[in-house]
Amino acid sequence: MRAVEFVCLSASVMAAAGIGISRAVAAEPPASLSEAVAIAARLAKTEGSPAAPAAQADRLSLIEPEMLLPCLAAFAETTPGGANWLAHGLDRAVERMAGRLPLDAVAGFVIDDTRPAAGRVLASEWLEKADPPRAAAAVAGMIDDPALPLRYKAIDARLTAAAAAGPEAELAACRGLLGSARDVEQVERIAARLEQAGEAVDVAEVLGFLRRWRLSEPFDNRGGVGFAKVYPPEAAATPDTDSWREVAAEGPHGEVDLNGAIGTKKGVLAYAAAEVDMPRGRTAEVRIGSPCAVAVWVNGEPVMAHEIYHASEAIDQYVAEAEFRAGTNLVLVKCCQNEQTEPWAGEWKFQLRICDPLGTPLGVQP
Amino acid sequence: MKCPPRLSVWLLAAATVVVGIASAADWPAFRGADGLGVAPGETIRTAWSESEGIAWRADLPGRSVASPIVVGDLVVTTASSGPRQDRLHVVAYDRETGRPRWQRRFTATGRTLTHPTSAVASCTPASDAARIVALFSSCDLFALDLDGRLVWQRNLAVEHPRAGNDVGMGSSPRIIQTPAGGVVVVQIDCQGDAFAAGIDLADGEDRWLVERRKIASWATPLELACPGGPGVLLQNPEGLELREAATGKLAWSWEGDCSGIPMTTASGELVCIPSDGLTAVVPGGPGRPAWRQPKLSCGIASPLAFGGSLATINRGGVLVLADAASGKVRKQLRLAGSFWASPILVGELLVAVNKEGTAFLVRVGEEPMIVAQNTLPGSFTATPAVADGSLFLQSESTLWKTLPPPQKNGDGSE
Repeated sequence: MRAVEFVCLSASVMAAAGIGISRAVAAEPPASLSEAVAIAARLAKTEGSPAAPAAQADRLSLIEPEMLLPCLAAFAETTPGGANWLAHGLDRAVERMAGRLPLDAVAGFVIDDTRPAAGRVLASEWLEKADPPRAAAAVAGMIDDPALPLRYKAIDARLTAAAAAGPEAELAACRGLLGSARDVEQVERIAARLEQAGEAVDVAEVLGFLRRWRLSEPFDNRGGVGFAKVYPPEAAATPDTDSWREVAAEGPHGEVDLNGAIGTKKGVLAYAAAEVDMPRGRTAEVRIGSPCAVAVWVNGEPVMAHEIYHASEAIDQYVAEAEFRAGTNLVLVKCCQNEQTEPWAGEWKFQLRICDPLGTPLGVQP
Repeated sequence: MKCPPRLSVWLLAAATVVVGIASAADWPAFRGADGLGVAPGETIRTAWSESEGIAWRADLPGRSVASPIVVGDLVVTTASSGPRQDRLHVVAYDRETGRPRWQRRFTATGRTLTHPTSAVASCTPASDAARIVALFSSCDLFALDLDGRLVWQRNLAVEHPRAGNDVGMGSSPRIIQTPAGGVVVVQIDCQGDAFAAGIDLADGEDRWLVERRKIASWATPLELACPGGPGVLLQNPEGLELREAATGKLAWSWEGDCSGIPMTTASGELVCIPSDGLTAVVPGGPGRPAWRQPKLSCGIASPLAFGGSLATINRGGVLVLADAASGKVRKQLRLAGSFWASPILVGELLVAVNKEGTAFLVRVGEEPMIVAQNTLPGSFTATPAVADGSLFLQSESTLWKTLPPPQKNGDGSE
């Protein structure tokens, strides 16, 4: 029988606050590797009670160093809250280990891109704290890594090193890394550096925004009634867009400016349709950004709807998965403008791209 | 205005803003224990700079527009980091040395887009001296003990998938003690799944949850007494609701155009609402306002009530001081810059920190006057905390503690 350990001793604080109970928490370390892994797996898939996992996290915080990586593998299957419980227990375990952290094994886990991304990112943070040069060396080659935070760091490190080596090296690095970057800000930073040197970059193309659209005539949205109303374009599985006007998305963010195309109006909505070819049938992410209320269909199937007006906008603001078939697919967007009169509520626009989960653009417009 | 008849004889005292169990020396929530931003017994030094009068400075592990809190021997704040700002940090610094005592990292489960002026770490933590609750713009709510052990978590945007907004949520949680224990009140006002909830501080379970109008607001709940016991005042651009903290039951409401950012404050029997400048009403009293004063318009900073006076800072950076009973303006002082942080009162000094990092110290006696201006580097949107003669000032990247005021000798020299 192992000794029960006490963690989180703060009884003095409780006494000072006039609370007459001890907050000391008794926890028993996992008796074996298999028990530790089982605890990690349970924590990772936590659902339900907000507080129940705390005792299990206490136990996980008491694991021995050799149990760390098998427990880290539990990130392969997590719930959103479960990932936090698992990380919390393991973070505290690593704090306890101090100089006993198995650096070789942790570095190996970080490098292994078959391991779950969230676990690798957490392990890289441990490594960064314990051995910064080793952490930097571990991520150095990860410019195409599926763990986006690690990819971001690797690209940033290369850009920094190249900039220190001189302009030619920096520009060469920018050219080489533009296709690897997936973070929008990082793509724009690289493109800006190249453009500063006189090299044109089609940022909208790099990010994969759909740029050829057809626009319907405007429909009524006074009082916000149009968002839920089914107008003919969305009633048809394949709306006839032949009579719709062609419009090109503009700028580096591929914006379809409806004020510019239709005229500045209030209390209206319009539909926009774009065709996109896929080499094979697959699930893909539809990513749309708009300051207006939007709904999206792919091949007549509803994908998402957000009735939010003028509460900021961003690239990839709303993301949802959709099924695409091999060949030509029709993406239909309903973009609604309300009747707000504030100066910041005038924009009526959207931008849309189709990506894999990493943000790699998919599809080609015919 | 709607007012249940049984409240018609209701007496509300400003003192009904209840102080929790945190020590008087602490500053355990946004604008202090009672949410009023007043530290009557404190004195602070009047001069500091990056190189003078500073006890310590600490780098934050990410970006933050939250305000620090002071709990026991800890100063606690939040930050977010990463390319998507989805790494959430709760950090506790040693109050004396500024060294990190513990740091906890979580991953956001809700939306992490914000306006550039905001951040995912936008809500001020709160504590009852035993637990710390930290809410982020992603609608993730964590309760930790004072050693940084996670006690419970709620992923409110997982439970309410359309909760949140991309400007950034900003309403801070408020811990209210009820006969059945502490309740964490969160106000998730947005155009999606809008709600307010009273969450049990002990176990993280809902005590109550009420749907709210689908309209964004950033105001922090204010604790007020109501006939059924401790209450909480919730504000959005269409008015106020006073609910029993233990049950969520509606005790009183007020309808009117109202700012969605600065929070209502309390003075005597009045609540002073950022509406048409400031509008003062008596909860449960006669339907008509006690007064309206358009000159007391609030920008982003919340109004401050102290000793029968009121202070507001408008969008032009003008500090307006008024009599709280009548709303009559006493003095206007032009400060400088834009004010996102709310002013606080420390002893007889009003402290107002502008976005550029200049803290204006205004003596608010018979002849109000600016007595000092001290500047620190960085962008400041956090409302200061004060405890034991020190201010805790936070920029988007750095936390500063000022030294206590110099000791005076018997002859008045320092």
